[in-house]
Amino acid sequence: MLADAIRSESYRLLQNRTAVFWSVFFVPVMALAISIVGQLVIQSKAVKINGANLPIELGGPLDLGQALASSAGDLANPAILAFLLIGAATLYAGDYRWETWRLISARNTRANLLLGKVGVLKCLTLAAMLAFLLAASMADVAKAAIFDRPMTFTFGAEQAADFALLFLLSFVRVVQFLMISLLAATVTRSLLAALFVPLVIGVGQAFLSGPIAGALGLEPGDWLTQLLAPGLAFDTLKAFIRGGMEAAALPDGVMVKAIISLALWSIVPLAAAIAWFGRQDLSKE
Amino acid sequence: MTAVIETTGLTKTYGAVRALDGLSLSIPRGGVYGVLGPNGAGKSTLFRILLGLIRPTAGEVRVLGQHAGDPAVMRRIGSMIETPRFPPYMTARQVLQWLALAHSSKDAAIDAWLDRVGLTEAANRRVRGFSVGMLQRLGVAAALMTKPDLVILDEPTSGMDPPGIQEMRALIRSLADDDGVTIILASHQLLEVQRVCDRVAIFNRGTLAAEGKVSELTASGERLRLSATPLARIMTVLGDKATLDGDAVLAAIPRAEGPALLRALIEQGVDIDEARWVGADLESVFMAETGPARTDAQVREALHAG
Repeated sequence: MLADAIRSESYRLLQNRTAVFWSVFFVPVMALAISIVGQLVIQSKAVKINGANLPIELGGPLDLGQALASSAGDLANPAILAFLLIGAATLYAGDYRWETWRLISARNTRANLLLGKVGVLKCLTLAAMLAFLLAASMADVAKAAIFDRPMTFTFGAEQAADFALLFLLSFVRVVQFLMISLLAATVTRSLLAALFVPLVIGVGQAFLSGPIAGALGLEPGDWLTQLLAPGLAFDTLKAFIRGGMEAAALPDGVMVKAIISLALWSIVPLAAAIAWFGRQDLSKE
Repeated sequence: MTAVIETTGLTKTYGAVRALDGLSLSIPRGGVYGVLGPNGAGKSTLFRILLGLIRPTAGEVRVLGQHAGDPAVMRRIGSMIETPRFPPYMTARQVLQWLALAHSSKDAAIDAWLDRVGLTEAANRRVRGFSVGMLQRLGVAAALMTKPDLVILDEPTSGMDPPGIQEMRALIRSLADDDGVTIILASHQLLEVQRVCDRVAIFNRGTLAAEGKVSELTASGERLRLSATPLARIMTVLGDKATLDGDAVLAAIPRAEGPALLRALIEQGVDIDEARWVGADLESVFMAETGPARTDAQVREALHAG
């Protein structure tokens, strides 16, 4: 049963505290620490410039609700992604590395075993994203305290909807890379491939999709552009959710293409990994 | 007698190598069944097919009446293939807990199994520091804790010290005798196999060379051991039925012909010091079925050549 696979995988992952720390907690903790130190440095410089030993106020009230909604769209950032891939690589390729497939493959179907890993990793992703949001909010509170700015919290229905949609979009974007990691781990049986293949593909997409689309004479709203560059599809959807001028400038019909692109980049690697794994010789590890 | 394993024309090839070559085998329910053979004979390949880790190239295999690899059947099998490895960051208890969860086993009695394989004191130690023997014990506990109907063990005593081997032998026998579990094991330790197994199959080059009860296989090689002088005269009387065994002669004759042979030897003036029937051990049956080992001289020659 899938539930058994998820239960056992999550139990195993929780025993691997190193992987959990690097995947979930390292980036938020570092981001928070860097943010606080940076703000303290800015504040001390500002005091010097001001010539007085009094804290100075920079800007007006800090809206924590708006900051939270904005942060949700930045959750698919390279730092979160890179460190989540440590957990992904451990989870996906660990059974090859430690030769434990033969222990667990007798206890469930192969599809369930892979889907169990995917399920646990999605939970890990949610935990990492929530931890990052918490750290971002704490950084905002620290910022307000350091610069003696008043705090407000506006989080109406509109902000809540934006927050939910941006959070979901970021989640889907991160999951895309985790699915590529799964396919790389299954095909190569390698921890390093699970870690680096999605990163290389991500970097390649970021740097090459523009020139390639240009060389092919493709427009941002074309099917092929959206399918080749899921990062562009992600940006398209993010702009639409945030609204404003950028959303108004989007080509007609590009939304559907962007959604399909994001879905395909998640589903195709997963389906390929399950198909490959179903016929894999698990006695060679 | 119902079979837990039935194979018909089972073949597995790896490129040009035929690891299993049309194997037809029926393993009965109950007791301890040994699978023997030299390296590369096809034992591990058979086990891997039975556990659904690899697919056969040709032929049929049924495990507990179902196709090999069927998830419903796999849940009724406990297994340990080669020296098991575990996630190094987990303790022995956590490993068993993890595997019990994977199996949806709520009453796995983890502490009882750790005790039964002698790992109680090491229960909270991380497995990265375990010796091969300790990993074997943990692997056996992992294979048995879900109360399977069929247990497949590949070299279960590999790396164990003599007391450990003795404990493992007792555990395997008690599971078969008291709990009614069918146990299939492969081992190169033929004396252990002879002690613990009820039946054995001897593989050679992917085929079945011999199969049957241990007592039957060893009885078929029973011989009369004669300590007497002069040995040359006994050799003349027996002809090609005699082989030298140190300062004695082994006579390959049926038990019923023993008295007549002794009378004939006495009439020939042979002075008989001792005459007793010796059964063949599994090793001699194994060697007879799988081909002779290299002699000491051949090994020395190979070493010098190397």
